[in-house]
Amino acid sequence: MVGLGACPLAVSGLEVAYPGCPPLLSDVGFRLSKGEIFGLLGPSGCGKTTLLRHLVGLERPRTGRIEFFGQDLWAADGALLDGHRRRFGVMFQGGALFGDLSLLENVALPLTEFTDLRPGAIMAAAQLKLGLVGLSGYEHYLPASLSGGMRKRAAIARALALEPGLLFLDEPSAGLDPVTSAGLDGLIVTLARNLSLSFVIVTHELDSVMAIMDRAILLDKRRGGIVASGSPMFLALESPSAEAAAFFRRGQRGGPGA
Amino acid sequence: MKKGPRHSPLSLDGAQEGPIVLRGALTAQVPGPVWDPLLRWPRDRLTLDLGSLEALDLNGAAQLLWLRRSLGGRGVALDFTQPPPALQPIWDLASRTLGPPPPKPPRPTFLELTGRNLSRAWADLLDLVGFLGELLSHLAGLAPRPWRLRWSATMRVAETAAIDALPVTALVAFLVGLILAFQSAMFMRLFGVDIFVADLVGLSIVRELGTLLTAIVLTGRSGSAFSAELGAMKANQEIDAFVTMGLSPSRDLVLPRVLALTIATPLLTVLADLAGLLGGNLVMVTLGHPVAVFWHELSSHIDASDVATGLFKSFVFGFTVAAIGCQRGLSAGSGPAAVGQATTRGVVTNIIVLAILDSLFAVLFYVLKW
Repeated sequence: MVGLGACPLAVSGLEVAYPGCPPLLSDVGFRLSKGEIFGLLGPSGCGKTTLLRHLVGLERPRTGRIEFFGQDLWAADGALLDGHRRRFGVMFQGGALFGDLSLLENVALPLTEFTDLRPGAIMAAAQLKLGLVGLSGYEHYLPASLSGGMRKRAAIARALALEPGLLFLDEPSAGLDPVTSAGLDGLIVTLARNLSLSFVIVTHELDSVMAIMDRAILLDKRRGGIVASGSPMFLALESPSAEAAAFFRRGQRGGPGA
Repeated sequence: MKKGPRHSPLSLDGAQEGPIVLRGALTAQVPGPVWDPLLRWPRDRLTLDLGSLEALDLNGAAQLLWLRRSLGGRGVALDFTQPPPALQPIWDLASRTLGPPPPKPPRPTFLELTGRNLSRAWADLLDLVGFLGELLSHLAGLAPRPWRLRWSATMRVAETAAIDALPVTALVAFLVGLILAFQSAMFMRLFGVDIFVADLVGLSIVRELGTLLTAIVLTGRSGSAFSAELGAMKANQEIDAFVTMGLSPSRDLVLPRVLALTIATPLLTVLADLAGLLGGNLVMVTLGHPVAVFWHELSSHIDASDVATGLFKSFVFGFTVAAIGCQRGLSAGSGPAAVGQATTRGVVTNIIVLAILDSLFAVLFYVLKW
């Protein structure tokens, strides 16, 4: 039985690899609390996005368990958990909005597919989600006519359509100016606090990490797994990990990783 | 889902006089028909008591606000009593956020649409003519310095466009020749003139169908590929990179493709002609005419000018298919959908232009008595 108190996401002993390749990350494990903003950090190419693809069921892990609200994502017979995709929402790096649908239709699509609501109620719910991410007045725009930041916000609105308890965001700040990026960070905090949503955010934007994240893990390709975990402040100042020190110091210098 | 199984399903209790009490969970899982009795509310005022709700999410709140909109449109005022304190923040957030329904974007009138389409078609035509002019000027500039053409790219495109297209072109032409011969033989046999099927098939294939079929196959196979390749390059800003590096996309990307297809099309047309004639020959043999009779009949009615006519057209068709395919790719917009649109426009434009050119050639050759 799924309950409100169940852990939104629990990962243990996960091995992350591309099909036919040696493991990229091994023994990945962490647990999320309700309303927590959790970061998957690491330099480019360390396997953050690949780990995310495993977490959302797009790739099957070789070993390990992924549980959403107490239920295993992969059943013993190898099938994906029935209806698991409605337990979480995903915002992909580029937004991945459907180009031939308006923003309203993009957000309404999951509701049309998975609920029995009247069309008017679906449109009101979609309009509400767009209003929540600050896109009131843009309901009938096509994604191509919007800026990158607006597309990402619309993608969050679509991910929120079925009101999952958990949202995965892949590089939400990538390619955005500091003001838009800060606005997006503010939106994430608002949603986490007001709706008790948990977030798993893949990023290497240190400003965002320090501003909004409750906890994070740092991944490293050379070591093939998690090298440090804790609050951003702990990772930046107190972690004994050399990789954590290098990752956060490089960012403060505004070097190539920033 | 995070909500649902722990709560009882939504129920509506109450009489027409008093407020309707909502109990249970009000989420997206509520079946739409639950609200039907309220949508037909016979009085001018209705109060929904939210105080007994066990769960409420934004989708649930959106349904209540939609209900208020719908009833408001019928002149029924809908009021709500406050939900339990735990659900108050969600209710407040939804009530605060959801504004009036967004106005539908104005639909353009028929006149506006026609004007816009005509103006777009005119701009398209100008683009195409300008592009063809640019291409011809590059070709002329290449004549004194042929080594400046990217021959390796040209040969690679020619290989993909011609050699890889051999089986499909030959198969289509063979079957068309076979069908043409069979259909005409059935009728001509009634009059005992089925020997003339050889001439009918021969002239049709050599002067018209071999050329046209090859061009259509190349439109679908190579012209569309050119549109997609160049459209994707445009979407990835590779074309912009070409321009900023001082290179010319039409010289370095388009010319190799156009030359490759202009050379490959006549060669493929010869093969298509042969395959079509073989198809016709096969039917004639099954009707009892020896192979030698078919080829003798052909050689007595088809001369070199017929073959030359078809080959001349195939040169022009090859150039046109490649040039239009490339132009449509280069004029693609941004985003992945633009590549698909560019490919579709390339194929459609090519088929229209091929039909127009073929008609013009038919008139021209008639006037010139070729």
